[in-house]
Amino acid sequence: MAVTELAAPPARPTPGRKKSPATSLIVLALRKVGTLLITLFFASLVVFFSRFVLPGDPARFLLRGRSPKPEALVEITKQFGLDKPPIEQYLTWVGGILHGDWGRSLTYRQSVSDVLLNRLPVTLELAALAAVFITVLGLAAGILASLNKGGWDRFILITVTAAGAIPPFVAAIALTALFAVQLGWFPSFGSGDEGLGRLWHLTLPALALGLTFIAFMARVTRSSMNEQLTREHVEVATSRGLKRSSVVFRHVLRNALGPILTVSGVLIAGLLVSSAIVEQTFGLTGIGQLLVQSIDRLDFAVVQAIVMIVVTAFVLANTIVDLIQPLIDPRIAAGTESR
Amino acid sequence: MSKLLEIEQFSLHFPGRGALLSDVSLHVDDGEAVALVGESGSGKSLTTRAALGLFPEFSRLSGSVKVRGLDTTSAPAAKLLELRRNHASMIFQDPRAGINPVRTVGDFLTETLVRWRGLSREEAYARAVTQLDQVGLRRTKDLMRQYPHQLSGGMLQRVMIAGALLDSPELLLCDEPTTALDVTTQAGIVELLREQQQARGMGMLFITHDLNLAASLCDRVYVLRKGEVVEHGGAREVFMSPHADYTRQLVGATPRIEIDKVPAAPAADGTVPLLAVKRLCKRYELPSGEELTALNDATFSLAPGGSLGVVGESGSGKSTLARMIVALETADEGELAINGRVRAPRPLRAAERKLLAKDVQIVFQDPYLSLDPRIVVGKAVADVFRLHQGQGRAEAVKSAEKLLERVGIGPERFDSKPRALSGGQRQRVAIAKALAARPKLLVLDEATSALDVSVQAQVLELVEELREQLGLTLLFVTHDLAVVSRLCAELLVLQHGEIVEQGSTAKILSAPANAYTRMLIDSRPRALWEEQLA
Amino acid sequence: MTLTGTIPLLRTRSYGSLLSGTGWFAAVVTLVVVLLSVLAPVLAPYDPDFVDLSSVLGGPSGAHWLGTDALGRDLFSRLMYGGRTSLMGPLIVVAASTVLGMLLGLATGWTDGWMSRILNRIFDLLFAFPALLLSMLAIAIFGKGLMAPILAMTISYVPYVARLTQQLVVAERARPYVQAYRVLGFRTPWVVLGRVMPNLVPTIGAQSTLNFGYVLADLAALSFIGLGIQPPTSDWGAMIEEARGALLGGHVLPGLLPALVVVLIVVSINVIGEELSDRIGGKLS
Repeated sequence: MAVTELAAPPARPTPGRKKSPATSLIVLALRKVGTLLITLFFASLVVFFSRFVLPGDPARFLLRGRSPKPEALVEITKQFGLDKPPIEQYLTWVGGILHGDWGRSLTYRQSVSDVLLNRLPVTLELAALAAVFITVLGLAAGILASLNKGGWDRFILITVTAAGAIPPFVAAIALTALFAVQLGWFPSFGSGDEGLGRLWHLTLPALALGLTFIAFMARVTRSSMNEQLTREHVEVATSRGLKRSSVVFRHVLRNALGPILTVSGVLIAGLLVSSAIVEQTFGLTGIGQLLVQSIDRLDFAVVQAIVMIVVTAFVLANTIVDLIQPLIDPRIAAGTESR
Repeated sequence: MSKLLEIEQFSLHFPGRGALLSDVSLHVDDGEAVALVGESGSGKSLTTRAALGLFPEFSRLSGSVKVRGLDTTSAPAAKLLELRRNHASMIFQDPRAGINPVRTVGDFLTETLVRWRGLSREEAYARAVTQLDQVGLRRTKDLMRQYPHQLSGGMLQRVMIAGALLDSPELLLCDEPTTALDVTTQAGIVELLREQQQARGMGMLFITHDLNLAASLCDRVYVLRKGEVVEHGGAREVFMSPHADYTRQLVGATPRIEIDKVPAAPAADGTVPLLAVKRLCKRYELPSGEELTALNDATFSLAPGGSLGVVGESGSGKSTLARMIVALETADEGELAINGRVRAPRPLRAAERKLLAKDVQIVFQDPYLSLDPRIVVGKAVADVFRLHQGQGRAEAVKSAEKLLERVGIGPERFDSKPRALSGGQRQRVAIAKALAARPKLLVLDEATSALDVSVQAQVLELVEELREQLGLTLLFVTHDLAVVSRLCAELLVLQHGEIVEQGSTAKILSAPANAYTRMLIDSRPRALWEEQLA
Repeated sequence: MTLTGTIPLLRTRSYGSLLSGTGWFAAVVTLVVVLLSVLAPVLAPYDPDFVDLSSVLGGPSGAHWLGTDALGRDLFSRLMYGGRTSLMGPLIVVAASTVLGMLLGLATGWTDGWMSRILNRIFDLLFAFPALLLSMLAIAIFGKGLMAPILAMTISYVPYVARLTQQLVVAERARPYVQAYRVLGFRTPWVVLGRVMPNLVPTIGAQSTLNFGYVLADLAALSFIGLGIQPPTSDWGAMIEEARGALLGGHVLPGLLPALVVVLIVVSINVIGEELSDRIGGKLS
């Protein structure tokens, strides 16, 4: 007990080094980016070593469904470095990716990156168009429902519940049957040429892809806004004589952005993954369709590449969302609030 | 000119349910401070919000609420905006909930000026800074850039007041503006409100559950109970010679410091103290990486049969102390002995915990969270009897029912889940649960501060009875000196984790040696007429 | 095994209005679909795989209530049998992920030792793999069928349930009633498993109900693109895929019916899940 007799510690809670908001934001950003890199590293381990789950000859695994001719086995062993220890194989694979070399496709007999680059635009355009639908329709429906209690709210809620339960592939079939086959307004197949033709070809797929997410977005917007509407600061704003529109925009919507943004991060991944199904249904030559075909044709190098790309996109989107959050809510940077 | 605020026969109800307000009539004249006093559920907040035309959705109204002749129950939206902008402003209870957390203080203050007063940003900024100076805040230019979470509760409430005053209202509505604040902070806010009200000649309607506070600020008082005005009149008359039974009961239940009623300490007979604390320290690491000393170098002891009040404001470390005594926290330094047994300086093992439970028990503050929502109260108490008294199922149930009846819970409640009970009943069950372990020391951590005054009085009475009958030793943690003066023979005052004064309650309250203790005592609201005498 | 969905139903019934009228309707729809699928071997009028080329793409009739598909197979029987595979997958995934996730969530939420930290990092990693994507990777390795996606989906959903449980446990642990149990000297396992867990089950159950809908839609989608259940086994997703040709030729029923059933069951389950979580959420706070 002699220790405490030396000097009485300061009575006040020691404030310590007060970090300025700007520094804590930078620290937060660095930490997020660090987490991103670590996650990607471990994800790459999972993606790469997933094929080691199955016991047996790796060369024969990679050549499943093809004639395992001795020459082919030799070639594949050389191409994938199968005779080297797994760690070295992994390092070669990751090193290649960092240089833009994703390996060779067994089906296309060309480098994976070439195949991917050919197909990426369609997927990105499809996802972007769906994102536009989601943002515009989802937000609008959510806001409308939240601000109009009663009839509109009920109508939108019912619509959204029904729409949210229609999986993309069912939506794809239904939209094709109605707008392409019966009415003939939109094409049912293919991705069309550049420009407007492309847009025309992508409208139905984007709607099919976006439908559940539109519903999801509407739901989140509605409940996030409803939650804010009951907050006392909204009542205070009203009591100070602000117009309803000012209250809604400056206080309700502004504060409701957090959850909406969080959901957006998850949506991006959902869009990329579900595009596999929609592209397959509409015969769009994007990476989603490529993924399905490559699984079908047992072209593992391509599967690995696409999985890695989607995971990266997903993690990246979530990191960006995490980085924007503290700008929207200053309490997050201060560590007093978390989302 | 028509009356400032005139509410006549105002009723409010939801379709299919009983009235929340029935035939409320009250008025506030220019330059007059009027209090509206009532417990929770009395409808006092509904009444004030009505003055601004803020009604709950789907509610049905009758009667009239007129501000300067404008009836808010029927006024068109444009007129209501005009009323809110130019005639009346409101200060809300919890400034942390009332100011948008994602916008700066400056934004909060200037938005009305820019949005509809038509001021330029620079003009609005200058006006806001001046106003902040006026409500007693310092470094106001820095404040304008800060976010609400960076300010203390007291500072934020001043910001809220500044926001209300910016619109130079004729009528200022205050909805329990100091309830969320510490006593010393409350004193400052009350002072500020009184000053501004008098300087500007505003009419003020002040809502509170605290009769003392009402008397310290207002000339006239309305007492509201279950949506009805049961009494009104001059503050002094209502306070000194109440007519209505309810008011009389309320006045009686309102805690006040009565030094001659402080209980006596047990005679010192040299026995081992039940609780002995030596140089106890507790530090926490904050999320920001800073270190917070919650409790520093605390030394005191409590004899068997004694009663100790631990008083302090928020952040004083009083709850940390209580939690360390029941081993929910482990001390960083120092020694804690109960019944002569020194506590091991580490988280306790299951067996040690069970042994400790027979020595000390705790009752927490929040009656809504301190009982398991899924377990009926009879079983909740019986479980403790089974664990500690080794009783069988049937016997434990019998013991539990006996104890519950003893704390005032009738047989019709034994099979109720906590949600079916009132706040006071829940605290009674919590006390029964604690007593079922037959502890020697009972720690009450703000156990009555979430309750209405009349309920608080009943629970305090119960605690007093139990102490006498069971020979319990009490350690009462609270922010309220009056509660301590009634229950505790000894007193310990904490400030920022430091014990600043300890000794006999009567002595400290009549002649405080420490400046902070004196400030705590002086910060208690005093009635206007007492002040005029002094 | 079906308990994950029904525990909250039974437990909270005593509180009164557990589900709204719509909610009860959804529950009845779910029950009917489940019963028809379970009892398919008894009730189905035809062998679902019996090909009858003499009655190809027939409309509804006395012999075939809902008509026949492009191979003359009875649609009603195929729908009933299809329900067995289409419901079994999500059931396994939801049951396994709920039990595992809840236990892991309780453990990681209650303690903060190194085990918890490692598990949390693993959860973070798994969150980076969307369920459908992990399923496709699994199919690429293990081959087509239901095995791989069921395994992958379970792995994907465990961290979701665990995180939810964890958040609930952390919130619950700080509540005075739990602290009172500790001060009273009750043993930790008794408090966690006997007192805290039952308070969380309704919320987790509501979430798992919602998960059931998501998993069902995803598994059906995999069958639809030909990576899941392989023909001729009947499955709602696969039935829709098989009917695409007929659809383009103007024969709506063979595709429409399974699509309707999928939407109907997902809507019903979502409605039940949403209502449960709304009501339970409202009660706990």
